Amino acid sequence: MLISYRWLQRHVDLSGISPEQLCNDLTLSTAEVEGLERFAPHLMDVVVGHVTHREKHPDADTLNVCQVDVGSAAGDNAEPLTIVCGAPNVDQGQKVAVATVGTVLPGDFKIKKSKIRGVASHGMICSVRELELGEEHDGIWVLPESVTVGQPVAEALGIDDWVIEIDNKSLTHRPDLWGHRGIAGEIAAIYGRSLESLSFEWPELGQGESFPVQIETPACSRYLALPIDGAVPEPSPDWLKWLLLSVGQRPIDAVVDLSNFVMLDLGQPNHTFDRSRLSEEGIRVRMAHAEETLRTLDGEDRPLQESDILICSGDSPVALAGIMGGEDSRVAEESRQLLLEVACFDAVTVRRTSSRLGLRTDSSARFEKSLDPTLPEKAAAYFVRLLCEMQPGVTLPAPPTDVGDWSDPAFQLTLRPERVRADLGAELEDSEISGILERLGFGLASQGEELRVDVPSRRATKDISIERDLIEEVGRIHRYDSIAEKTMQASIAPPPHDPRRELVRTIQDELAGGARFNETLGYSFIDDHLLEKLAMQDLPHVQIQNPVHQAQTHVRRTVIPNLLGALESNRRLHEEIRLFEVGKGYIPEKTNERGEPTELHLAGLIWACAPPVKGAAFDDNRFSQLHGVVHTLLHTLKIKDFTWREAENRPCWAHPAKALEAVCEGHEETPLALVAALDPALYAGLGLDGDLASDVAAAEISLDALLEAPRRASHYEAVPRYPGIKVDVAIALSEDTPASAVEEVIIKAAKNQFAGIELFDLYRGENLGEGRKSLAYHVLLQSDNKTLSDKDEQKFLKRFEHLIGEIGGELRRG
Amino acid sequence: MSDHAATLAQAQEKVEACESLDALKAVEREYLGKDGLVAELLARIPALPNEEKPAAGREANVLKQAILQALDVRRARLAEAAIASERSATGFDPSLPPPRTQRGTLHPITQVTRELEDLFHSMGYSVLDGPEVELDYYNFEALNIPADHPARDSHDTFFCEGEGKLVMRTHTSPSQIRAMESFEPPFRVVAPGKCFRHETTDASHDHTFHQMEGLVVDRNISVAHLIGAMKTLLRGIFHRDLEVRLRPGHFPFVEPGFELDARCPFCQDGCSVCKQTTWIELLPCGLVHPNVLRAGGLDPEEWGGFAFGLGLSRLVMLHHDIDDVRHLLANDLRFLEQF
Repeated sequence: MLISYRWLQRHVDLSGISPEQLCNDLTLSTAEVEGLERFAPHLMDVVVGHVTHREKHPDADTLNVCQVDVGSAAGDNAEPLTIVCGAPNVDQGQKVAVATVGTVLPGDFKIKKSKIRGVASHGMICSVRELELGEEHDGIWVLPESVTVGQPVAEALGIDDWVIEIDNKSLTHRPDLWGHRGIAGEIAAIYGRSLESLSFEWPELGQGESFPVQIETPACSRYLALPIDGAVPEPSPDWLKWLLLSVGQRPIDAVVDLSNFVMLDLGQPNHTFDRSRLSEEGIRVRMAHAEETLRTLDGEDRPLQESDILICSGDSPVALAGIMGGEDSRVAEESRQLLLEVACFDAVTVRRTSSRLGLRTDSSARFEKSLDPTLPEKAAAYFVRLLCEMQPGVTLPAPPTDVGDWSDPAFQLTLRPERVRADLGAELEDSEISGILERLGFGLASQGEELRVDVPSRRATKDISIERDLIEEVGRIHRYDSIAEKTMQASIAPPPHDPRRELVRTIQDELAGGARFNETLGYSFIDDHLLEKLAMQDLPHVQIQNPVHQAQTHVRRTVIPNLLGALESNRRLHEEIRLFEVGKGYIPEKTNERGEPTELHLAGLIWACAPPVKGAAFDDNRFSQLHGVVHTLLHTLKIKDFTWREAENRPCWAHPAKALEAVCEGHEETPLALVAALDPALYAGLGLDGDLASDVAAAEISLDALLEAPRRASHYEAVPRYPGIKVDVAIALSEDTPASAVEEVIIKAAKNQFAGIELFDLYRGENLGEGRKSLAYHVLLQSDNKTLSDKDEQKFLKRFEHLIGEIGGELRRG
Repeated sequence: MSDHAATLAQAQEKVEACESLDALKAVEREYLGKDGLVAELLARIPALPNEEKPAAGREANVLKQAILQALDVRRARLAEAAIASERSATGFDPSLPPPRTQRGTLHPITQVTRELEDLFHSMGYSVLDGPEVELDYYNFEALNIPADHPARDSHDTFFCEGEGKLVMRTHTSPSQIRAMESFEPPFRVVAPGKCFRHETTDASHDHTFHQMEGLVVDRNISVAHLIGAMKTLLRGIFHRDLEVRLRPGHFPFVEPGFELDARCPFCQDGCSVCKQTTWIELLPCGLVHPNVLRAGGLDPEEWGGFAFGLGLSRLVMLHHDIDDVRHLLANDLRFLEQF
């Protein structure tokens, strides 16, 4: 909202308070000032000139050559300037606005000395449009006779002003501050100055018949209608025009300007109808019917609903209540008969209609803040009093119609000064507290230790409802920056242990540390296209009603899709990508009794790089490597007795076979983690073919399951006293026999000497025969009571050869 | 005797000619190996007359010792030369770049969250997690923002399909109510997390961003305590004292509500970060509104508190001088690798 410094001075004396100071103090006590700018700054550069002589240009019929006296503005030896001017209305004896050479006009237009058809011109006589003060451009701007030659125009006209921009968001709770009067009231309270009184007396009212008004909806609590006769569509007086211009309003004519002025001054929106176009039945305020439409003043046809308040003439809509008038009842040029409407509409209803239609007006912005219902009568009287002063021919043929079911919201609150001091943490005297409240317009009476506070109607609709609200009033005028900080007194105890946070940190540290993954954070919304590519579009998702992008309506169930979606762009620039994210997923088909979807806490990992080259090591593929990373992570997390099994619930993106999940004994229903190669069918869709052909594996870790999983106790295992021996075995066996069977045999054969095993090769080749493979292991044998010898190795190999034969394996000799 | 002298001289010559340890080994094998010259000499002894045997044995041994000594000397010299050659660093190019070691990284949001969590933890705060898909009740209703409150407009809410009960949380403030439901007062808690606003995105706005909510509930909490706590907090974040100012700010869930500005830590007399004002708007805060305490099941006559919100995304951007908020959630390795 724009506030004019000069306008404020109509209500409160600002002497000694600079605009900067004012803005700072308003920010610290009332509302955030977002900007301060000089009004029409070029009017400080453009000077008053006197046209002393005018003659036709010798070579151009439409041009005039003027001698313009700009006094001292042209220098000390003030010769009149010769200026060539094309305006038809320029004439000898006029006072005009002159931009001398060097002046910069709006649009960064610098005035230079120039030659126009052979005549040198030393400046420009300005039109209203060139100064961005209006649209008129058919002639130059003629100033009043009385202005002083040579002065800056702004000073000469007394319109030097500053425009203060207040952040609307910081006024949402203050319906009383949506006009200059309200802001002036704050200033009066801040500086302890008095507010000029305003007269809300009616001018002389005729005794004719009041205009009929019928309210048919509780959404209009008050409707005041006043017939006005004899108003002429003449321009407003200068004082009014300049004030409106300063806050960015174009002056139109006296009635329109006054309507705006009253709204911007008192904060009360109002509307004038052409009475000659209204039905004799009068005004009806009702809710719209479905299917009804109204063409508003801006020429748009507005589809209406039963939740919209309409002002009707008889039964035909003439205005969208509190938002915008209808085009058909627009005040016509020739109209002398008006009807002034000042009303009170329900804040919520106006807000809903205006948001639905996307039609936010100065009027709706005010109504939706819950305006003071006592204000319409004051505003109406103020309006017509000013109109009568401006146009003495105006008459008011009848008293106002003032109907509606409203009551004065003023009420009383009890305030405990002790509580003020306790909440603010400041030692304020009782007198200081009551002084501030009185300055803000609250009525006060002592009641023992307490204060009885009368909350005036303008503060009672919204902002002030409890004692704490009054404490804020005291605090902000006292100023928070004058409250000294205090240290809290509390017992010192460490916060409770937080296993979730510890788990998240360990996972992050392990993955970003030893595993060298880059942590990422993704959006919770996923692209519909991506879901289709991953064949996940049919899974239930929490859906967004009003997405930012039409194709982003799904809230993710897991973090993997985001990571897969990020592969193509990253692979273009990187040979290898290791990303992980700790985040959340939502499962809408499982909700609790309050309707909340199940929330999953997850860590997702993805590892991608170019496919392994021929002859690469058997485990040089992303699936094996990622399996290793997750296994190590679970080990580091001290998860007790977890094992890997084929994934029972394979996610859409996973390879049909290469998918494993880790489970804990006794918790088989809730896998801890899943590791899978990416389904080969998805590569091309994800853009991972051709140059970007990749080998991709992903893993998903359930933090929820990890928090429930049993943990190993940390304990030390004695370091062996005797050296062990490492025996390498290679076994040829059928493809159908799993490695786990071989490992069981090794453990069995090693008996109590078993100390460790490591697969170091997996080989398939013609020499082994069709359907066979070779597994090679390092086996570590160890004894508690002796150094093992060759003999022990031979014994082990003998046992092993025999046992492995039982499962169809064959020990391969070097 | 003369035979041996010639042999020794020849051996010594060969040893001296060796330029490597391998060559030295070959010479050693030639003379002292299993089938070497000395072994040959020793093998001949049994065939000698008895009286010659001791002398022949002695001489062979002397020869062996002399060769061994020559070998040792040469070996030591070669080792010295090798070290000297290593140390001369011929062919060493100090300008060669180091090989690239890939490393893992934590997201800058994680880093700043951790730093703050640790700071708060040290001041007795617990860390609370809250859902991103949130009930309207927690996001608005319980925070003193009833249906049709105009403040809802400014929240630019993403609504979830269904009966209108679920929204994408617009702030971390719902955690205030959740904290009151799960902790016995007095308590202190912070709740970091993702928030959502239906906004057009540009370099300084994203529809998804990170915040951290703070809530202290205790007896006799005042604005003065809030100021003290916020100053301490800022000292923890910026590692120095910053001048702060509180000005009125309206948030329905606090009363009085404030915007806390701090003197711009990046300039003396105006810069782009503070938009030439020398103040930066850092955190909204205030005393918890009595209605919010009631919604959390607490009696506002007995308990009070203050709440504050920190923009984590904004702090990260300030800290690293990041010019576009959209980098934060873009999954771009070129960005992530830098932290």
